Amino acid sequence: MKFNTIIIGGGLAGLTAGLALLKAGQKVALVSDGQSALHFASDSFDLLGYDAQGQAVTNPLEAIAGLDATHPYSKVADVAGTAAQAQQLLAEAGVKTTGEAKANHYRLTPIGVVKPTWLTVDDFVTLDKPDTTPWKKVVVANIIGYLDFPTKFIVAGLRKLGVEVALKGFTTPELTEARKSPSEMRATNISHVLTDPAVIADVARQLSEISAGFDAVLLPAVISMKDDANAKLLKQQVKTPLYYVATLPPSIPGVRTQTLLRNRFIAQGGIFLTGDQATGGKIEGDTLKSITTAKLTDAELEADNFVLATGSFMAHGLMANYEKVYEPIMDLDVDYTGAHKDWSEYGVFNAQPYMQFGVATDAQLHVKKGGKVIKNCYAAGAILSGNNRVKMADGAGVDMLTALQAVKNILKK
Amino acid sequence: MDNELKNHYDVIIIGGGITGAGTARDCAMRGLSVLLVERYDFTNGATGRNHGLLHSGARYAVTDQESASECIKENMTLRKIARHCVDETDGLFITLPEDDLNYQATFVEACHKAGIRADIIDPEEAKILEPAVNPTLTGAVRVPDASIDPFRLTIANVVDARLHGAQMLTYHEVTSLIINQGRVEGVKLRDNHTGEEKEAHASLVINAAGIWGTLIAKMAGVTVNMFPAKGALLIFGHRVNNMVINRCRKPANADILVPDDTVCVIGTTSDRVPIEECDHMPVTDEEVEVLISEGEKLAPSLATTRILRAYAGVRPLVASDNDPSGRSISRGIVCLDHETRDGLAGFITITGGKMMTYRMMAEVATDLACKKLNIDKHCETATTPLPGSEEKKSEETLKTYSFAQKAADGRHGTYTKEIKEDDIVDDALVCECEEVSVGEVKYAVDNLHVHNLLNLRRRTRVGMGTCQGELCSCRAANLLCQSESADKEAADLARFVDERWKGMKPVAWGDTLNEAQLTATIYEDLLGLDKVASKEGGME
Repeated sequence: MKFNTIIIGGGLAGLTAGLALLKAGQKVALVSDGQSALHFASDSFDLLGYDAQGQAVTNPLEAIAGLDATHPYSKVADVAGTAAQAQQLLAEAGVKTTGEAKANHYRLTPIGVVKPTWLTVDDFVTLDKPDTTPWKKVVVANIIGYLDFPTKFIVAGLRKLGVEVALKGFTTPELTEARKSPSEMRATNISHVLTDPAVIADVARQLSEISAGFDAVLLPAVISMKDDANAKLLKQQVKTPLYYVATLPPSIPGVRTQTLLRNRFIAQGGIFLTGDQATGGKIEGDTLKSITTAKLTDAELEADNFVLATGSFMAHGLMANYEKVYEPIMDLDVDYTGAHKDWSEYGVFNAQPYMQFGVATDAQLHVKKGGKVIKNCYAAGAILSGNNRVKMADGAGVDMLTALQAVKNILKK
Repeated sequence: MDNELKNHYDVIIIGGGITGAGTARDCAMRGLSVLLVERYDFTNGATGRNHGLLHSGARYAVTDQESASECIKENMTLRKIARHCVDETDGLFITLPEDDLNYQATFVEACHKAGIRADIIDPEEAKILEPAVNPTLTGAVRVPDASIDPFRLTIANVVDARLHGAQMLTYHEVTSLIINQGRVEGVKLRDNHTGEEKEAHASLVINAAGIWGTLIAKMAGVTVNMFPAKGALLIFGHRVNNMVINRCRKPANADILVPDDTVCVIGTTSDRVPIEECDHMPVTDEEVEVLISEGEKLAPSLATTRILRAYAGVRPLVASDNDPSGRSISRGIVCLDHETRDGLAGFITITGGKMMTYRMMAEVATDLACKKLNIDKHCETATTPLPGSEEKKSEETLKTYSFAQKAADGRHGTYTKEIKEDDIVDDALVCECEEVSVGEVKYAVDNLHVHNLLNLRRRTRVGMGTCQGELCSCRAANLLCQSESADKEAADLARFVDERWKGMKPVAWGDTLNEAQLTATIYEDLLGLDKVASKEGGME
């Protein structure tokens, strides 16, 4: 099987690259094991939330211009233009967001912390300023028995913003039934229950009742896993303005984003090899000829170009053992330093060195092996070295912008 | 729980480890009015930082007959009185090609002399009994080792002491002893949560503070020379072995592998450390290396098993000479009557010994206390089952248990029925790895001195599973949340996540590093916990 481009990795970076390549008329295949860091995502896409000193960023575009040359953004030619393209690509797939690259707004985290961000999925809480809300009094409504929404923390966080907050619980017979299995009260499982229009209507009625007289009702994001239809339907039926708040994982907005991007990829003619894993690559000289996968044991997947978007350690795009840090598919060059004791530090919230580890790339995002550039294989997203995404809040931006830049580099050839 | 101090107690016990808890139980059962004070949480010291091994005594048979005899006696006793804390696994002492097989005969003879059953079995039989054992073994001896949960055991003693009227104050630190005319008459205390200073008075003060007992003795103006010997251990991600595996040789580093609940633990090292370092003991790279390489010799599959975390404890050995290894010192019990020894009345130190000989230590200390108080009551702790172990549950009883109660059964024994399920959310799982329900959390908060997530982990195993508290710690923090601002709870959650990381950091490669990155992604990136929680280290 021969493709123009093969993408390894079905997370935000891989799917972004895939959609951009399809738009350019390429024949594209994507290999994904089905897992993605999107399952642990918030309701927002960050471009740059904090600078190297940990100060909150108000204008990401300005702050990005001042970043170190080792940061992946240094390999993105036109950050503003590429960011706009990313937002457009999300919208085309049905992920409607608000926000802009030149001015961060703020999101509300599941424990009521306010963090700067770039784009937030429609109908989720957004704040223009970090210390104030548009409301005087709000209701935080939670499904009784749902533990992945730390309500007391959210209430406390909102009160610090000067809002009067009431905490209310609700349930329906269907949700009570689901609770009988103690592990069923997870966001993705609840969202299955909240697909029935009658149940949604019941929830809407209850939410209208408990939020009467309040400026807004805030609900954990436990609805609309596949698209935003049910979330919209519920919002329309509740009399008080309804906003969703992200929960502990699994993340409904994250899973929804992944689903919408994947569906769009398939609808546009992309070949999506799901539940499969790349196991190796055949490199001849400076060229990656083909890759093998766990499932396609007797076939090699050939392409003119490849995009490696397999993520960092938690996604197994990078691996570490007692001796070394390595890239498991092709043993590509990895930027890392020292022995295992140097990879991390005591103090869980200190900047951890391993966070910046990733595959080595040249200015065009080409990967390297044995010090030599592979001229048709590009890396994108969390597998890149040079940024600490939990400290800088730049994860989604790096995923999408480096993926789009890799595509531009491929198409330029 | 009752925090109001009485005017006077018969005894004040310093230390909330297993020795203090056991002594409180014994004293209370003999009718004494008891106050136990602990500066942090129960099981915070060596009690919570060991193998969880119910020694048969075989390990000490050759080198220390006294300890060996104490061990086997208590081993048999604890199987009866603390049934819900003991996993009767039995143990193997294996000889490897590099070991001297002649040692086996010496070993078995010494075991028999100490009254320890020790059966030489064929290496092939050993491999069938314990498939994880190193297949190159040349000899094997089967002994009655077992696994014991020290957290559960301590709390069972606490609960029973309270049932007999004892009062317990955790997070209360002794700042000085009240001494009047050559007699200790009480203690000055500081509430480590509020900073409030208090005084408590008693006829006797029993120092059961483990290695920190040397500092308590110093407050009293007497000298108890302790030998702080650090022991590091590693926890592996699943239960590789079903029997305790030891090396049949003179005790050395990393030669015991114990199956504990769903995991297994290899240890230990032994190095002298200064007393000042005993509060914070990171495990070093060298220790990790020794534990891994020696552990693999006991069970080769450890080489490919994920290491969950590393931790270290300090043995409260009483120093007698300058032995650099600390291994030839007796593990025997030391009970000091400071009246006869130092001319200081009203003060007793109980130390030395082992986690699993705690009951005997408590008995010795309580005997002395009773003698001084002129109370003629005999010890009944060896025959009275601990709460949770009173009766074997019938199949019928188990059938009536809810899902959450079944999971909790192993942890709380007969007390499981106290775990509520009347609220519709009580069955909801807080921790999937360890199957801890909302009801069990509530039970622990109401009954088991739980002030924070660390206390809760020790009472229920929340956050002890393979994910090391990925989501359950945040869920539990929300359940514990009492204050309007949630600042205290956010700080507690941050401290808990940091404490988990402290154990993962020395072994942060492979899946442990992957898990650490996931935790950082959730707690920093998604939640922003680092933005609200102060970085101050806290008290533990």
